[in-house]
Amino acid sequence: MEYQELIGSRRSIRFFDPKKPVEQEKIQKILEACLIASCAVNAHWLRAIVVNRDDIPKAELQKMKSPTQALIIELAPVHIYFYSDLSVVNRKKGARLKELVDVGALNATHGWSHKFVDELVYPQLLKPLTESPYYAAFAAFDCGVAACQGLLMAFELGLGACLGAFVAPIVAEHVKPPEDWMPLYAMNVGYPMESREAGGQRPRPPFEEQYFLGQYGKPFPRDPKVVEELRRTKMLQASAPLPGRREEVRQIARKLNLPE
Amino acid sequence: MTEQTIEGYESVRTWRRDLSDQWGGDPIAEEPDKLRALERFCEFVGDDPDTIVGRCFRVRKSDGERVVSSKWRTHYAGKIVEFRDRNPDLESQRLGADVLSFLIHNGVMVQA
Repeated sequence: MEYQELIGSRRSIRFFDPKKPVEQEKIQKILEACLIASCAVNAHWLRAIVVNRDDIPKAELQKMKSPTQALIIELAPVHIYFYSDLSVVNRKKGARLKELVDVGALNATHGWSHKFVDELVYPQLLKPLTESPYYAAFAAFDCGVAACQGLLMAFELGLGACLGAFVAPIVAEHVKPPEDWMPLYAMNVGYPMESREAGGQRPRPPFEEQYFLGQYGKPFPRDPKVVEELRRTKMLQASAPLPGRREEVRQIARKLNLPE
Repeated sequence: MTEQTIEGYESVRTWRRDLSDQWGGDPIAEEPDKLRALERFCEFVGDDPDTIVGRCFRVRKSDGERVVSSKWRTHYAGKIVEFRDRNPDLESQRLGADVLSFLIHNGVMVQA
Protein backbone atom coordinates (compact mmCIF):
# COMPACT_ATOMS: atom_id res chain seq x y z
CA MET A 1 0.00 0.00 0.00
CA GLU A 2 1.24 3.51 -0.71
CA TYR A 3 2.28 5.35 2.42
CA GLN A 4 -0.41 8.03 2.39
CA GLU A 5 -3.12 5.46 1.80
CA LEU A 6 -1.71 3.35 4.61
CA ILE A 7 -1.98 6.23 7.07
CA GLY A 8 -5.49 6.92 5.85
CA SER A 9 -6.58 3.31 6.08
CA ARG A 10 -5.52 2.71 9.65
CA ARG A 11 -8.41 2.29 12.06
CA SER A 12 -8.60 1.04 15.62
CA ILE A 13 -9.83 -2.43 14.82
CA ARG A 14 -11.95 -3.97 17.56
CA PHE A 15 -13.28 -7.08 15.86
CA PHE A 16 -10.68 -9.73 15.14
CA ASP A 17 -11.09 -13.20 13.75
CA PRO A 18 -10.41 -15.05 16.99
CA LYS A 19 -9.51 -18.31 15.28
CA LYS A 20 -7.12 -17.00 12.67
CA PRO A 21 -3.61 -16.99 14.07
CA VAL A 22 -1.09 -14.30 13.20
CA GLU A 23 2.15 -15.44 11.62
CA GLN A 24 5.11 -14.81 13.91
CA GLU A 25 7.06 -13.25 11.03
CA LYS A 26 4.42 -10.54 10.79
CA ILE A 27 4.79 -9.78 14.48
CA GLN A 28 8.53 -9.59 13.96
CA LYS A 29 8.00 -7.08 11.17
CA ILE A 30 5.88 -4.95 13.50
CA LEU A 31 8.66 -5.00 16.08
CA GLU A 32 11.32 -4.27 13.44
CA ALA A 33 9.28 -1.20 12.45
CA CYS A 34 9.27 -0.08 16.09
CA LEU A 35 13.01 -0.54 16.35
CA ILE A 36 13.94 1.79 13.50
CA ALA A 37 11.70 4.64 14.66
CA SER A 38 13.02 8.08 15.40
CA CYS A 39 14.33 8.09 18.94
CA ALA A 40 15.60 10.93 21.10
CA VAL A 41 19.25 10.53 22.15
CA ASN A 42 19.10 7.05 20.60
CA ALA A 43 17.97 5.79 23.99
CA HIS A 44 15.31 3.29 22.86
CA TRP A 45 13.06 3.27 25.88
CA LEU A 46 10.44 1.10 24.20
CA ARG A 47 10.27 -2.52 25.24
CA ALA A 48 7.68 -5.04 24.13
CA ILE A 49 6.58 -8.44 25.35
CA VAL A 50 4.60 -10.41 22.81
CA VAL A 51 2.04 -12.86 24.12
CA ASN A 52 0.01 -15.32 22.12
CA ARG A 53 -3.46 -15.25 23.61
CA ASP A 54 -3.82 -19.00 23.43
CA ASP A 55 -0.73 -19.43 25.62
CA ILE A 56 -2.44 -17.58 28.46
CA PRO A 57 -4.32 -19.88 30.83
CA LYS A 58 -8.05 -19.16 30.64
CA ALA A 59 -8.32 -18.03 34.24
CA GLU A 60 -5.43 -15.60 33.78
CA LEU A 61 -6.91 -14.21 30.58
CA GLN A 62 -10.15 -13.66 32.44
CA LYS A 63 -8.32 -11.65 35.09
CA MET A 64 -6.58 -9.53 32.44
CA LYS A 65 -9.92 -8.29 31.13
CA SER A 66 -10.78 -4.70 31.93
CA PRO A 67 -14.31 -3.45 31.27
CA THR A 68 -13.39 -1.75 28.00
CA GLN A 69 -10.73 -4.13 26.73
CA ALA A 70 -12.24 -7.49 27.65
CA LEU A 71 -13.60 -8.37 24.25
CA ILE A 72 -10.62 -7.05 22.34
CA ILE A 73 -8.11 -9.14 24.27
CA GLU A 74 -10.39 -12.14 23.98
CA LEU A 75 -10.61 -11.81 20.20
CA ALA A 76 -7.07 -10.70 19.35
CA PRO A 77 -4.76 -13.69 18.94
CA VAL A 78 -1.67 -11.64 19.76
CA HIS A 79 -1.11 -9.07 22.48
CA ILE A 80 1.97 -6.88 22.43
CA TYR A 81 2.56 -5.29 25.81
CA PHE A 82 4.58 -2.10 25.58
CA TYR A 83 6.73 -0.78 28.39
CA SER A 84 9.15 2.06 28.86
CA ASP A 85 12.55 1.06 30.20
CA LEU A 86 13.23 4.18 32.23
CA SER A 87 16.65 3.11 33.48
CA VAL A 88 18.17 2.73 30.02
CA VAL A 89 19.63 6.25 29.93
CA ASN A 90 21.63 5.82 33.11
CA ARG A 91 22.73 2.35 32.11
CA LYS A 92 24.04 3.42 28.74
CA LYS A 93 25.49 6.77 29.92
CA GLY A 94 25.55 8.22 26.42
CA ALA A 95 27.06 5.15 24.72
CA ARG A 96 24.31 5.04 22.12
CA LEU A 97 24.87 8.68 21.27
CA LYS A 98 28.54 7.92 20.72
CA GLU A 99 27.49 5.16 18.34
CA LEU A 100 25.73 7.81 16.30
CA VAL A 101 28.94 9.84 16.28
CA ASP A 102 30.89 6.77 15.14
CA VAL A 103 28.59 6.04 12.21
CA GLY A 104 28.46 9.63 11.02
CA ALA A 105 24.90 10.38 12.00
CA LEU A 106 26.01 12.97 14.57
CA ASN A 107 28.95 15.02 13.37
CA ALA A 108 31.33 17.76 14.37
CA THR A 109 29.40 19.97 11.95
CA HIS A 110 26.68 20.04 14.59
CA GLY A 111 29.01 20.08 17.55
CA TRP A 112 29.10 16.37 18.33
CA SER A 113 32.08 14.39 19.62
CA HIS A 114 32.67 11.60 22.15
CA LYS A 115 34.08 14.17 24.57
CA PHE A 116 30.98 16.33 24.20
CA VAL A 117 28.79 13.34 25.06
CA ASP A 118 30.95 12.19 27.97
CA GLU A 119 31.54 15.56 29.57
CA LEU A 120 28.44 17.52 28.78
CA VAL A 121 25.51 15.66 27.25
CA TYR A 122 25.30 12.74 29.62
CA PRO A 123 26.31 14.29 32.96
CA GLN A 124 24.75 17.70 32.44
CA LEU A 125 21.70 16.99 30.33
CA LEU A 126 20.66 13.36 30.25
CA LYS A 127 21.33 12.37 33.84
CA PRO A 128 19.47 15.41 35.23
CA LEU A 129 16.69 14.69 32.76
CA THR A 130 16.18 11.27 34.33
CA GLU A 131 15.61 13.01 37.66
CA SER A 132 13.03 15.41 36.22
CA PRO A 133 9.34 14.92 37.01
CA TYR A 134 8.75 15.12 33.25
CA TYR A 135 11.14 12.31 32.39
CA ALA A 136 8.53 9.55 32.21
CA ALA A 137 6.35 11.63 29.89
CA PHE A 138 9.34 12.46 27.72
CA ALA A 139 10.22 8.78 27.40
CA ALA A 140 6.59 7.80 26.81
CA PHE A 141 6.36 10.24 23.91
CA ASP A 142 9.30 8.52 22.32
CA CYS A 143 7.79 5.08 22.92
CA GLY A 144 4.61 6.28 21.24
CA VAL A 145 6.51 7.27 18.13
CA ALA A 146 8.00 3.79 17.90
CA ALA A 147 4.73 1.99 18.65
CA CYS A 148 3.01 4.03 15.96
CA GLN A 149 5.43 2.73 13.35
CA GLY A 150 4.63 -0.80 14.46
CA LEU A 151 0.95 -0.02 14.33
CA LEU A 152 1.16 1.16 10.74
CA MET A 153 3.22 -1.88 9.81
CA ALA A 154 0.43 -4.12 11.11
CA PHE A 155 -1.96 -2.57 8.62
CA GLU A 156 0.60 -2.76 5.83
CA LEU A 157 0.70 -6.50 6.48
CA GLY A 158 -3.06 -6.88 6.21
CA LEU A 159 -3.58 -7.15 9.93
CA GLY A 160 -5.76 -5.07 12.20
CA ALA A 161 -4.64 -3.62 15.49
CA CYS A 162 -5.87 -1.54 18.37
CA LEU A 163 -3.91 0.22 21.09
CA GLY A 164 -5.38 0.12 24.56
CA ALA A 165 -4.60 0.24 28.23
CA PHE A 166 -3.97 -2.97 30.11
CA VAL A 167 -4.27 -4.12 33.70
CA ALA A 168 -0.58 -3.83 34.45
CA PRO A 169 -0.30 -5.74 37.76
CA ILE A 170 -2.19 -8.73 36.39
CA VAL A 171 -0.41 -8.78 33.04
CA ALA A 172 2.88 -8.49 34.95
CA GLU A 173 2.15 -11.77 36.73
CA HIS A 174 2.15 -13.44 33.34
CA VAL A 175 4.82 -11.58 31.36
CA LYS A 176 7.11 -10.80 34.31
CA PRO A 177 8.65 -7.48 33.21
CA PRO A 178 11.56 -5.98 35.16
CA GLU A 179 10.27 -3.92 38.07
CA ASP A 180 11.53 -0.61 36.71
CA TRP A 181 9.71 -0.90 33.38
CA MET A 182 6.79 1.48 33.17
CA PRO A 183 3.68 -0.08 31.62
CA LEU A 184 2.32 1.86 28.64
CA TYR A 185 -0.17 0.35 26.24
CA ALA A 186 -0.99 -2.98 24.68
CA MET A 187 -1.27 -3.41 20.95
CA ASN A 188 -3.80 -6.11 20.22
CA VAL A 189 -3.26 -7.67 16.84
CA GLY A 190 -5.16 -10.03 14.59
CA TYR A 191 -6.89 -10.41 11.28
CA PRO A 192 -9.82 -8.01 11.15
CA MET A 193 -13.37 -9.25 10.88
CA GLU A 194 -14.35 -5.76 9.86
CA SER A 195 -14.11 -4.52 6.31
CA ARG A 196 -11.02 -2.54 5.42
CA GLU A 197 -12.98 0.71 5.70
CA ALA A 198 -14.26 -0.37 9.15
CA GLY A 199 -17.07 2.12 8.87
CA GLY A 200 -15.00 5.03 7.57
CA GLN A 201 -12.47 7.46 8.97
CA ARG A 202 -13.27 8.41 12.52
CA PRO A 203 -14.47 11.88 13.55
CA ARG A 204 -11.63 14.28 14.16
CA PRO A 205 -11.68 17.79 15.63
CA PRO A 206 -11.36 20.71 13.23
CA PHE A 207 -7.81 21.04 11.86
CA GLU A 208 -7.68 24.73 12.75
CA GLU A 209 -8.43 24.03 16.40
CA GLN A 210 -5.48 21.70 16.69
CA TYR A 211 -2.62 23.37 14.84
CA PHE A 212 -1.26 26.90 14.74
CA LEU A 213 1.09 28.96 12.65
CA GLY A 214 3.52 31.34 14.28
CA GLN A 215 1.83 31.47 17.64
CA TYR A 216 -0.99 29.97 19.59
CA GLY A 217 -4.34 31.29 18.54
CA LYS A 218 -3.46 31.75 14.86
CA PRO A 219 -4.79 28.66 13.15
CA PHE A 220 -2.58 26.96 10.64
CA PRO A 221 -4.43 27.66 7.36
CA ARG A 222 -5.94 24.54 5.85
CA ASP A 223 -5.56 24.78 2.09
CA PRO A 224 -8.50 23.05 0.37
CA LYS A 225 -6.25 22.15 -2.57
CA VAL A 226 -4.02 20.17 -0.24
CA VAL A 227 -7.05 18.49 1.25
CA GLU A 228 -8.21 17.55 -2.23
CA GLU A 229 -4.80 16.15 -3.10
CA LEU A 230 -4.85 14.04 0.08
CA ARG A 231 -8.25 12.71 -0.91
CA ARG A 232 -6.80 11.61 -4.24
CA THR A 233 -3.92 9.82 -2.51
CA LYS A 234 -6.48 8.22 -0.13
CA MET A 235 -4.94 9.59 3.02
CA LEU A 236 -8.21 11.38 3.60
CA GLN A 237 -11.07 8.97 3.11
CA ALA A 238 -14.82 8.96 3.52
CA SER A 239 -15.81 9.81 7.07
CA ALA A 240 -17.70 7.51 9.38
CA PRO A 241 -20.39 6.40 9.41
CA LEU A 242 -20.34 4.76 6.02
CA PRO A 243 -23.62 3.29 4.80
CA GLY A 244 -24.04 -0.25 6.04
CA ARG A 245 -21.80 0.12 9.10
CA ARG A 246 -24.54 -0.72 11.57
CA GLU A 247 -25.43 -3.80 9.59
CA GLU A 248 -21.78 -4.84 9.42
CA VAL A 249 -21.45 -4.56 13.20
CA ARG A 250 -24.68 -6.44 13.72
CA GLN A 251 -23.56 -9.29 11.49
CA ILE A 252 -20.25 -9.59 13.33
CA ALA A 253 -22.07 -9.44 16.67
CA ARG A 254 -24.31 -12.32 15.66
CA LYS A 255 -21.44 -14.34 14.25
CA LEU A 256 -19.47 -13.95 17.48
CA ASN A 257 -22.50 -14.08 19.77
CA LEU A 258 -21.93 -10.60 21.14
CA PRO A 259 -24.40 -8.15 22.63
CA GLU A 260 -26.10 -5.72 20.28
CA MET B 1 -39.71 -11.16 40.30
CA THR B 2 -42.95 -9.36 41.12
CA GLU B 3 -46.23 -9.73 39.23
CA GLN B 4 -45.24 -6.91 36.89
CA THR B 5 -44.63 -8.00 33.28
CA ILE B 6 -41.06 -7.74 32.21
CA GLU B 7 -41.81 -5.04 29.64
CA GLY B 8 -43.04 -2.81 32.46
CA TYR B 9 -39.71 -2.43 34.21
CA GLU B 10 -38.04 0.92 33.71
CA SER B 11 -34.73 -0.73 32.83
CA VAL B 12 -36.43 -2.82 30.16
CA ARG B 13 -38.08 0.28 28.70
CA THR B 14 -34.67 1.95 28.62
CA TRP B 15 -33.23 -1.09 26.84
CA ARG B 16 -36.00 -1.09 24.29
CA ARG B 17 -35.69 2.64 23.62
CA ASP B 18 -31.92 2.53 23.28
CA LEU B 19 -31.97 -0.51 20.99
CA SER B 20 -34.47 1.24 18.80
CA ASP B 21 -32.33 4.39 18.69
CA GLN B 22 -29.27 2.38 17.75
CA TRP B 23 -30.66 -0.10 15.26
CA GLY B 24 -33.93 1.45 14.14
CA GLY B 25 -37.32 -0.27 14.32
CA ASP B 26 -38.22 -2.07 17.51
CA PRO B 27 -35.72 -4.89 17.98
CA ILE B 28 -37.51 -6.13 21.10
CA ALA B 29 -40.79 -6.54 19.24
CA GLU B 30 -39.03 -8.01 16.21
CA GLU B 31 -37.06 -10.51 18.30
CA PRO B 32 -39.11 -11.49 21.36
CA ASP B 33 -36.38 -14.00 22.26
CA LYS B 34 -34.48 -11.09 23.73
CA LEU B 35 -37.10 -10.58 26.42
CA ARG B 36 -37.38 -14.30 27.05
CA ALA B 37 -33.62 -14.43 27.51
CA LEU B 38 -33.76 -11.67 30.08
CA GLU B 39 -36.61 -13.41 31.88
CA ARG B 40 -34.66 -16.65 32.05
CA PHE B 41 -31.67 -14.81 33.43
CA CYS B 42 -33.76 -13.01 36.03
CA GLU B 43 -35.12 -16.36 37.17
CA PHE B 44 -31.60 -17.77 37.27
CA VAL B 45 -30.27 -15.02 39.54
CA GLY B 46 -33.53 -14.44 41.41
CA ASP B 47 -33.60 -10.68 40.75
CA ASP B 48 -35.87 -8.51 38.62
CA PRO B 49 -34.42 -6.30 35.84
CA ASP B 50 -34.54 -3.04 37.79
CA THR B 51 -32.87 -4.67 40.78
CA ILE B 52 -30.08 -6.02 38.59
CA VAL B 53 -29.38 -2.61 37.08
CA GLY B 54 -29.83 -0.82 40.39
CA ARG B 55 -27.28 -3.04 42.09
CA CYS B 56 -24.72 -2.34 39.38
CA PHE B 57 -24.50 1.25 40.58
CA ARG B 58 -23.70 2.70 43.96
CA VAL B 59 -23.38 6.13 45.47
CA ARG B 60 -19.81 7.04 46.33
CA LYS B 61 -19.66 8.21 49.92
CA SER B 62 -16.94 10.81 49.38
CA ASP B 63 -18.81 12.97 46.87
CA GLY B 64 -22.27 11.50 46.39
CA GLU B 65 -21.54 10.59 42.75
CA ARG B 66 -23.35 7.64 41.22
CA VAL B 67 -20.68 5.20 40.11
CA VAL B 68 -20.59 1.64 38.81
CA SER B 69 -20.38 -1.04 41.46
CA SER B 70 -17.50 -3.27 40.41
CA LYS B 71 -18.64 -5.89 42.87
CA TRP B 72 -22.10 -6.31 41.39
CA ARG B 73 -20.99 -5.84 37.82
CA THR B 74 -18.50 -8.65 38.32
CA HIS B 75 -21.17 -10.70 40.08
CA TYR B 76 -23.60 -10.53 37.17
CA ALA B 77 -20.87 -11.02 34.57
CA GLY B 78 -19.93 -14.18 36.46
CA LYS B 79 -23.55 -15.29 36.53
CA ILE B 80 -23.77 -14.93 32.76
CA VAL B 81 -20.68 -17.08 32.34
CA GLU B 82 -22.10 -19.59 34.83
CA PHE B 83 -25.38 -19.73 32.95
CA ARG B 84 -23.61 -20.28 29.65
CA ASP B 85 -21.41 -22.99 31.13
CA ARG B 86 -24.41 -24.83 32.55
CA ASN B 87 -26.45 -24.54 29.37
CA PRO B 88 -24.37 -25.21 26.29
CA ASP B 89 -27.33 -25.08 23.89
CA LEU B 90 -27.29 -22.35 21.28
CA GLU B 91 -30.24 -20.45 22.74
CA SER B 92 -28.58 -20.21 26.13
CA GLN B 93 -25.36 -19.02 24.56
CA ARG B 94 -27.34 -16.29 22.84
CA LEU B 95 -28.98 -15.46 26.17
CA GLY B 96 -25.69 -14.20 27.52
CA ALA B 97 -25.37 -11.73 24.66
CA ASP B 98 -28.91 -10.50 25.17
CA VAL B 99 -28.43 -9.99 28.90
CA LEU B 100 -25.19 -8.15 28.24
CA SER B 101 -27.07 -5.98 25.76
CA PHE B 102 -29.67 -5.23 28.44
CA LEU B 103 -26.96 -4.21 30.92
CA ILE B 104 -24.94 -2.19 28.41
CA HIS B 105 -27.94 -0.19 27.22
CA ASN B 106 -28.63 0.60 30.86
CA GLY B 107 -25.14 2.04 31.22
CA VAL B 108 -23.50 -0.94 32.85
CA MET B 109 -20.26 -1.48 30.96
CA VAL B 110 -19.66 -5.19 31.11
CA GLN B 111 -18.02 -7.70 28.80
CA ALA B 112 -18.33 -11.29 29.95
